[in-house]
Amino acid sequence: MTTMPAPPTGGHVSRLSRLALPWAVARLGFRRQVAYPQAALWGLITNSFFGLLRVAVLLALFGTRPQVAGYTPQDAITYTGLTQAFIMAFSLFGWFDFMRAVHRGEVTADLLRPASLLGFWAAQDAGRALGQLVLRGLPMLLIFQVIWGLNWPPGPLAWAQVVLSVLLAWACGFLFRFLVNCAAFWSPDAVGFGRFAWAVLGLGCGFLMPLAFFPEGFRAVLAWTPFPAMLNTTVELWVGVTTGGAAWAALGTQLGWTVALLLACRVTLRAGLRRLEVAGG
Amino acid sequence: MADLRRHLTLYLRLLGAQIRSQGAHRTSFLLDALGSLLITAAEFAALALVLPRFGGLGGWTLGEICLLYGLAELAFVLMDILFGGFDAPNLSAHVRSGSFSTFLLRPAPLTLQVFASDFALRRLPRVLLAAAIAGYGLTHAPLAPGPETAALLTAAMLGMICFFGGLFVIGGTLTFWTVDSVEAMNVLTYGGRTLISYPMDIYSAWLRRTFTYLIPAGFLSYLPALHLLGRPLPDGLPGWAALLGPLAGPLVLAGAFAFWRVGVRHYQGTGT
Repeated sequence: MTTMPAPPTGGHVSRLSRLALPWAVARLGFRRQVAYPQAALWGLITNSFFGLLRVAVLLALFGTRPQVAGYTPQDAITYTGLTQAFIMAFSLFGWFDFMRAVHRGEVTADLLRPASLLGFWAAQDAGRALGQLVLRGLPMLLIFQVIWGLNWPPGPLAWAQVVLSVLLAWACGFLFRFLVNCAAFWSPDAVGFGRFAWAVLGLGCGFLMPLAFFPEGFRAVLAWTPFPAMLNTTVELWVGVTTGGAAWAALGTQLGWTVALLLACRVTLRAGLRRLEVAGG
Repeated sequence: MADLRRHLTLYLRLLGAQIRSQGAHRTSFLLDALGSLLITAAEFAALALVLPRFGGLGGWTLGEICLLYGLAELAFVLMDILFGGFDAPNLSAHVRSGSFSTFLLRPAPLTLQVFASDFALRRLPRVLLAAAIAGYGLTHAPLAPGPETAALLTAAMLGMICFFGGLFVIGGTLTFWTVDSVEAMNVLTYGGRTLISYPMDIYSAWLRRTFTYLIPAGFLSYLPALHLLGRPLPDGLPGWAALLGPLAGPLVLAGAFAFWRVGVRHYQGTGT
C-alpha cells in the first residue's frame, strides 16, 4: 500500500488528470487484495469444496435427463464454476465497507477528495473486484476446467457479450450494494438491513440455483427486479441459454438497471449527505 | 450435584445478561434475526422451488430430503446458539482483544464463561424455520411412528449437536496457536452441515466415505435416516450400524474438550 495518487504535473486540469485519481484508487484496491495471498488460498479451498457439493446436488437433480430448461448437466457444472468464481468479485456474501465508513464518520474524509464520492468508491471496488477475479475467480475456473471441464462461450461475439455482461453485472451489483450501504445514513442498525438484502440477492441473482429452473411465476416476479442482472444474465450468456436478439435484450436490461440504480444511488447519497451535515457526524 | 446446580444457575444468569443486552436495540435485533432467517429460507427455497421440475433428488422425495435437511439445520443452529462462544471468529476476537484473559481472572469456570459469551438470540427464528422443515419431513417421509423412531431421531439430533459443537471447540482452541482465523475448519463445520443436508449417495464414494468414517458426519444423520426410511445402508453395513451413529458425536465432543484443556494450559495471552 505504497502507491499514492501522483499529483497532476501540469497547471491545467486536463481530462486525463481527472482520471488519474480514480485510476490510482482502483490500483490501490487491486493491490490490497493481492497483498493477502494466503487468505485467498484458504478461500479458494473452501469455495472449491462448496463447489464440489453444489455440483453433486445439481447432477443428482438432473439424474438421467439430458437437458432441463435449456441447461445440460455440463452447463450446470459451468454455472456452478462461474457462480463460485464470482462470489468474491461480486461480493455476493455481502459488503459493508461504505456502511462502516459512514458509521465511523470516515466518509467526511472521503468528501474532501477532489472526486465524486460515488466515483471514488466505484473505482476502489472495481480494483477490489478485479483483484478477487484474478486471485480467486480465474483459479476457480481452472479447477473446474481440470476436474469437470467447462463449457466456454462459442465465439468472439459471445465472448464480447460475456465480457460486457460481466462489467454490467459488476456495475449493477456495486450500485445495489452501495445503495444498501447508504442505509447507514439513516440507521445505526444498518448491518441487519444489509444481511437481509444479501439474502434476497443470493436467491434473486441466481447464485443458489439457475433462475431458469424456478417456476414461471417466481421468475416473472424476479424479472421486475435488478437481481438477475447481477449474475444470472452473465451465466446465461456464457452457457448459451440466451443467444441472438435475446442476448442484446439481456444486455440492454442490464444497462437499464445500471442506469436506474446509478440514479437511485445519486439521489439517496445526496439525501444521506444532507442528513450527515445535520447530525454533524 | 450442588456444584452442577450452581454452575447451571451461573450459566443462566450469564445468558440473561446477554439476552438483555441484545434486546436493547430492538430494530437491529429484528433485522438481524430476519436476515439470518432469510439466509436459510433462501437456500432451502432454492431447492424446494426447483424440485417439482426435476421430480426428486437422486430418488429422494421432497419429504425425505426435508427430513435430512431439517434435522441437519436444526441441530446446527441449536449447536450454534449453545457453542457460539467457541466459534473461531468469536473466540479469536476475545483472544486478540485480551478479554479472554479477563475470563481467566473471574471466579467462575472458564468453559462456562465461554459457553455464555456469544449467545446469539437472533438465531431463534432460524430454529423455528429448521423445526418447520424437519416437521414437514417427519410428516411427509415414510417413517414408522413409534418410540424407536423418536428415540433414534432424538439421539441423532443430540449426536449432531455434540459433533458440530466439538468441531467449534477444536476450531476455537486452534486460535490459541494461530490468531488468524482458522478458515479450514469452515470446510468441516459449515461444509459438513451442507454436506449432510442432502442424501449422501449423490456424492462420489471417496467424499461420502471421508465424511462417514473419517469425519463421522454421515454417521450422525444419514445412516439413522436410511434406517428409519427402511433403505439399505451403504458399503454393505449391517442395519444396526445406524444405531451406533449417535455415539460418534459425544466421542468427538469429549476429544475436543480434551484438546481444549491442552489449549487453555498453553494459552499465554497476546499481551493486550
